[in-house]
Amino acid sequence: MATGTVDTTTVVRKALEGKRLNVGGLVFEWGMLLLLLSSLLVLVVLLGDIVSGAIPTFRARGFDFVTSGLSLNPETAGVSTAIVGSIAITAVVAVVAFPIGIGAAIYLEEYAPDNRWTRFVDTNIRNLAGVPSIVYGLLGLAIFVRLVDVVGLGGQTGGKNIFSAGLTLAVLVLPIIIITSAEAIRAVPNSIREAGVGVGATPWEVVRHHVLPSAAPGILTGTVLTLARAFGETAPLIVIGVATGFFGAAADATVLERATGPYTALPVVVFSWSRQSVGAFGDTLAPAAIVVLLFVLFVANAGAIILRNRYEKTW
Amino acid sequence: MRTRHIATIAALALVAAACGGGDDGSSASNGDDSSGTIFVSGSSTVEPISALNAEKFKTDNPNVSITVEGPGTGDGFKKFCAGESDVSDASRPIKDSEAEDCATNGVEYVELQVAVDGLSVVTSTANTAVSCLTFHDLYALVGPESIGFDKWADANDLAAELGGTSGPYPDANLVVTAPGEESGTYDTFVELVIEDLAEQRDQFPASRPDYQASANDNVIIEGISGSDTSLGWVGYAFYIENTDQVKALAVDDGQSGCVTPSAETIADGSYPLARPLYIYVNTTKAEEKAELASFVDFYLGDGLASVGETGYVELDDYSAVLDAWANR
Repeated sequence: MATGTVDTTTVVRKALEGKRLNVGGLVFEWGMLLLLLSSLLVLVVLLGDIVSGAIPTFRARGFDFVTSGLSLNPETAGVSTAIVGSIAITAVVAVVAFPIGIGAAIYLEEYAPDNRWTRFVDTNIRNLAGVPSIVYGLLGLAIFVRLVDVVGLGGQTGGKNIFSAGLTLAVLVLPIIIITSAEAIRAVPNSIREAGVGVGATPWEVVRHHVLPSAAPGILTGTVLTLARAFGETAPLIVIGVATGFFGAAADATVLERATGPYTALPVVVFSWSRQSVGAFGDTLAPAAIVVLLFVLFVANAGAIILRNRYEKTW
Repeated sequence: MRTRHIATIAALALVAAACGGGDDGSSASNGDDSSGTIFVSGSSTVEPISALNAEKFKTDNPNVSITVEGPGTGDGFKKFCAGESDVSDASRPIKDSEAEDCATNGVEYVELQVAVDGLSVVTSTANTAVSCLTFHDLYALVGPESIGFDKWADANDLAAELGGTSGPYPDANLVVTAPGEESGTYDTFVELVIEDLAEQRDQFPASRPDYQASANDNVIIEGISGSDTSLGWVGYAFYIENTDQVKALAVDDGQSGCVTPSAETIADGSYPLARPLYIYVNTTKAEEKAELASFVDFYLGDGLASVGETGYVELDDYSAVLDAWANR
């Protein structure tokens, strides 16, 4: 059928154009192709630059680079501390932002009446999604660092730890989680809800047993992508006091002491390495850390795509 | 059936995330008696030396928890005089107002100079027209009265008026890339080069505002090497790491002639843009905490090798510093 369509298009176009060459159309087509290629070229150059910088590190160090901790010595510096920190922060983000974000989306789509107030809230959530991340960093410093300290999780850093970082990034990604979850819920056909209500289900039962399961693939895809966003954020972390120098917990420190102590994250390590005077940090180690960061993000995105394809429903 | 499957996956994802949040992924510890902690804050210029020393010290003392950060000399002294940090890195001596804060809070300290940095005035390796600049020249080129000078030659009149000796400059583009105003490197440059002349001429002691500023010294190096007729300044560590891209100009303070920055001229004080780098140690805490005292012992012993490894210059003679530490 597809080929049939193409054939018809070609035949009709030929009939209309006759033997004249459609110069304008061709120029336009090639122009668009050129624009596509130029944007791809930028990406390829960027990736090529990073990967070529990273190759010496991985060749010399191999997997050791991923398992070594923070160091000021380029021979032994690695990203393990940063990976642990990034994963811990992302976990805090997930625990905080998922329930709140998905709950808010359910309320907005399933319960909230369509009035001026709801539309006002909806518009502002969309605006919040566009607020620069540094602004959330200032918010985090003013509120979450103190909050974490007040509730007794401050540790030796006085609240500048993965908990305040996770809370700050959670607020940062919350609008995006709400928007994507709401879109996914909205995509569930109304007939499903009507059928549920028709057999006597309460609104909560309809949501719990019909709407949410049907919307789950979309919600999961969206939330995994927002976690990737949180994983790659740098600016707010620098504002709220991520460690940039060196830190090491005592060998006999408890898990709580470690969790409430100083922390760092992968993008922050890239940032601080690129500022070092010792050339190896900026030339080969920072690109290698970027490769690790990109790898994690690719895996997350691939996971999101697999989830979507596996569970996607067509109505 | 299928929907239940999805719900399970979602639940599992949440549970897994929840576990991750509590655990932090760090290796479990054994034993629960608290060991010492050392907290170093202060100058980002000194931070690499302290961080490298912290790392080396920690290898031999795994039970000490140690943190090094570099928010800046001023912020470091705030924490230090509030009794929050044990050691404060500083790229300038403590100010009177800061010393008063310390006194108010009962923080007693000892000042230990650990290294010297030499601000390096740099240009492109392709720039052969200029090799030495006096303070007068620098004032004419990047001082407060040089706003709008797009060409080196634009500064000729001002330099002549001040008595600069390197002119007349070539009629080439003047591209200035240097640290931003928030940086200690900027402060030191203004203080050493511009302040006196600005005072004499009734000008505000600052550089010209119309230059390319960056907080990242590697970006400054890029900017300097990107134009054949560039001008700027960076810490010595960044110059010496990039001698293939940038050239340091000799500097003349009007007394000792043209001096090029090198480990020797910076260490012996003949290079006019040298600045001392300090650590300030809280002596009360050093008394209470054996691990802090032994960290400083290490810093002033084997740890001095870190000074060169991070691109700074060691003092010729540390005996005065060691005495100050011994008599704390």
